[in-house]
Amino acid sequence: MKVLPAICPSCNSQLNVKSLVCERCQTEIQGQYELPLLSRLSLDDQGFIIEFIKSSGSLKEMARLLGLSYPTVRNRLDEIIKHIKFAEKSEQDDKEEKL
Amino acid sequence: MTEITANTKTANSNRLSHRFDKLTIEWLFNPFRFIAGFKALLLGLAIILISAFVGSFGNTHFDGVLDVHTGLEAPLWFFFAEVLINWVCMVIPLFFFGLIVSRSSFRMIDVFGTQALARWPYLIAAIAMFPDANRRVLEYLMFKLTQTAPAVVINSIDVFVFGFAMILVILMLIWMVALMYRAYVVSCNIKGAGAIITFIVSLIGAEVLSKFAIFSLLV
Repeated sequence: MKVLPAICPSCNSQLNVKSLVCERCQTEIQGQYELPLLSRLSLDDQGFIIEFIKSSGSLKEMARLLGLSYPTVRNRLDEIIKHIKFAEKSEQDDKEEKL
Repeated sequence: MTEITANTKTANSNRLSHRFDKLTIEWLFNPFRFIAGFKALLLGLAIILISAFVGSFGNTHFDGVLDVHTGLEAPLWFFFAEVLINWVCMVIPLFFFGLIVSRSSFRMIDVFGTQALARWPYLIAAIAMFPDANRRVLEYLMFKLTQTAPAVVINSIDVFVFGFAMILVILMLIWMVALMYRAYVVSCNIKGAGAIITFIVSLIGAEVLSKFAIFSLLV
């Protein structure tokens, strides 16, 4: 499976979506669309978030499903929160820079 | 075709064996990735008390967070008290440092449970100190040092058993400290220099505190 790139390999800036295509009728929309925050996370992090939601946000249930201890799962969640906060801050900085 | 299948099988088996190795290493040096909380507490406490019980047969005392000494005869409750004091003395400073340093919220039961389980290598140390040869060599050394204790005759097997036990106890001590550090890192979610410094300070503090507490039981 191809991985959606979120960061520019040339200058490390945030990548945007320029065009969207309908596979059925080939309609193409051009523009400048920002990638949603969650899609900027790694596939592992996205997978973890999906499992977390499927477990109704229960870390205990997550720990049981993954065969890991509660603090290990909670530490992973803390790490993802850190990544999200970092992505939000970068987004904010980018916007301020553009202004 | 057969060759390709065989190669795939070999590659799969290599991958499996690599995964098994990684898992084994993780269970040995960071079991807290898989076990924590109440389960770790129950298992850890059981192992701690069994260590004390085994130690009582060979008069092996865990008279300090890191200490293993043999000699003094004592009632069974004293051996149990020693190991429980060691555990509590280590947990208290780590828990408070965790509250200060960690940016995550963490559960007290994880800190208590993982620290209890981290002491399991001392069960092996208690077994290593069990043979009577250790006591004989120690008495012989005491006699050589003080010239006051009664003379003891030892043979080469006694010396070999004693040497082996000492090496094993040192290895178990290193292993236990490594496990205690991993338990702290996982249960409080602390990393880097902050984790190392607070762990070392806690360990030194706990050693002093436990020595003092165990000594106060004697007088």
